[in-house]
Amino acid sequence: MQRGGTMEVLQVDGVKKSFRGDMSFASREVLHGVSFSAGAGEILGFLGPNGAGKTTTIKIILGLLRPDSGSVQIFGKPLADRSVMKRVGYLPENPYIYPHLTLSEFLRFCADLSDVPANVAASRVREVSSLLGLEEHANRRTKGFSKGMLQRAGLAQAILDEPDLLILDEPFSGLDPIGRKTVKDILLDLKGRGKTIFFSSHILPDMEALCDRACIIKDGAVIRTVGLAEVFRIGEGMVEITARGCPVSELDPVSGYMDSVAVNGEEIFLVVRKRELVRTVVQHLYNSGAEVLNVSNHHPSLEEVFMSEINGKITEERESAGIQHYAGHATGGGER
Amino acid sequence: MRKIYSVALNTFRESAREKLFYLVIIYAMVLLVSVFILSPLSVGAAKGKIVTDVGLAGISILGILTAIIVGSNLVHKEVDKKAVLMVLARPVSRAEYLVGKFAGVALSLAVLIGIMTAVLAVMMLLGGAALTPAVFLAVGLSLVEIGLIIAVMIFFSTFTTPLLTSFFTICIFVAGTLSGDLRLFAQKFGGKAMNYVTDVLYFILPNLKVFNLRHEAVHGLRYSASEILLPAAYGVVYTCAMLYFAWLVFRRREFS
Repeated sequence: MQRGGTMEVLQVDGVKKSFRGDMSFASREVLHGVSFSAGAGEILGFLGPNGAGKTTTIKIILGLLRPDSGSVQIFGKPLADRSVMKRVGYLPENPYIYPHLTLSEFLRFCADLSDVPANVAASRVREVSSLLGLEEHANRRTKGFSKGMLQRAGLAQAILDEPDLLILDEPFSGLDPIGRKTVKDILLDLKGRGKTIFFSSHILPDMEALCDRACIIKDGAVIRTVGLAEVFRIGEGMVEITARGCPVSELDPVSGYMDSVAVNGEEIFLVVRKRELVRTVVQHLYNSGAEVLNVSNHHPSLEEVFMSEINGKITEERESAGIQHYAGHATGGGER
Repeated sequence: MRKIYSVALNTFRESAREKLFYLVIIYAMVLLVSVFILSPLSVGAAKGKIVTDVGLAGISILGILTAIIVGSNLVHKEVDKKAVLMVLARPVSRAEYLVGKFAGVALSLAVLIGIMTAVLAVMMLLGGAALTPAVFLAVGLSLVEIGLIIAVMIFFSTFTTPLLTSFFTICIFVAGTLSGDLRLFAQKFGGKAMNYVTDVLYFILPNLKVFNLRHEAVHGLRYSASEILLPAAYGVVYTCAMLYFAWLVFRRREFS
């Protein structure tokens, strides 16, 4: 429950969940002992393909589904203690905003349900509407809102009472680039104020830009929890070279130095295994008449790590770098 | 209490903005047409009684129908649209949610019936009928009956579809209205088994006949305070019991 002497904000331990089919008594286990935790001020991403169990896990955390076994603790308290929900904000996937209400009425309704004092509620409603760029629509019924506006309204209700733990299910769904930037800025601001954020998303670049760690789930089991710093370390020592004007066949003499070669039109992208080999490869490129456009440190993206894990491949880089799992965080039954 | 109020207000707003109160226009038109058609068939004081009789029956029937239409979708729609997720993920108990939904629909029906009663009062005065306290007490008991029906609907809507909720509630309404007569019939003509069955039904199902004070109101008959207070208390207790059973089901409900 504790990591480095500090209480975890969110602790999920060995959660299993089965569902019974509509027409049968046989049940199918969809979560197989999911475990992870999130600490104060941390952004933890929840990554997984469709049907992996992300939304089911989130609903169990919120008490909307009951686990068959395992436990969930929020701020050290079990879910049965609903008072803890005062400190939790939640954005469901595709939030349903009552179409008969104006945005202000809806947010006021949410504020009342969250015990926001009446004298504070009105100003908080104005603040979050403004923060999400919805102030002009505050007195409009949400019936005519676009998908992106509904998503922003959903986020507005989630952050309305300044929760200490924010749980977001696909927060970037339906948002345009400006909306995504706005939401990212808000989440980073909340993190800066010590709030804990746990969110699922399919948009990996956004997750990479925000998360401290990412918890990867597949087929109802956590297969890895990876720190973003760890991702950057995976390719430590490798260098990426972008060049132009050199056929791939000319690279044979130095092919043993390279981890990968990719071609896009006239440009080739080389990943050199070790820093000390770069000079040799660059010299070879010049000798072959190529123009070197860029030389930079290489690290795999979160997407590459995700795809690698999902495809069941353990990258050699991780092994050679001797990098350990975040054992303290991810001890799920399915973790490798 | 604030949370119950908020859920109730939201439910009331939904009813109001979905133009529930337009039903008053239908009520007024039905009342007017009925009076124009039936009045020539009667003479003297009977004309006023027709307005009262049709008006009170209209309030009761339209109230029950509206309760069934609005109530059948009450919980199911919120679960289906997943609106309930954002409510129950907050520090709101499931009991508060259910009571709030009940209060919201009951408030909507109370306002609707209040307006219909005002329309009836105007028509009675225009028709020369005596506007006695019994008329308002009859409306009040109808409201208690409608409250009970809403609670029955909430109970069914916690675990079944709107169609089945409506069907079960209509069955309960019909059986609850006839259970007293069936029991009497069985006592006179039925065997032991029939007696037993009708007795069980009589005590389990709501006895909706006790909420009918329309006859006394139309004909100016005498009635005692117990004829008002006992049915009112019975209705309140039955309503609370149905909400309790609804909570027993709803607290175990999962939202996948």
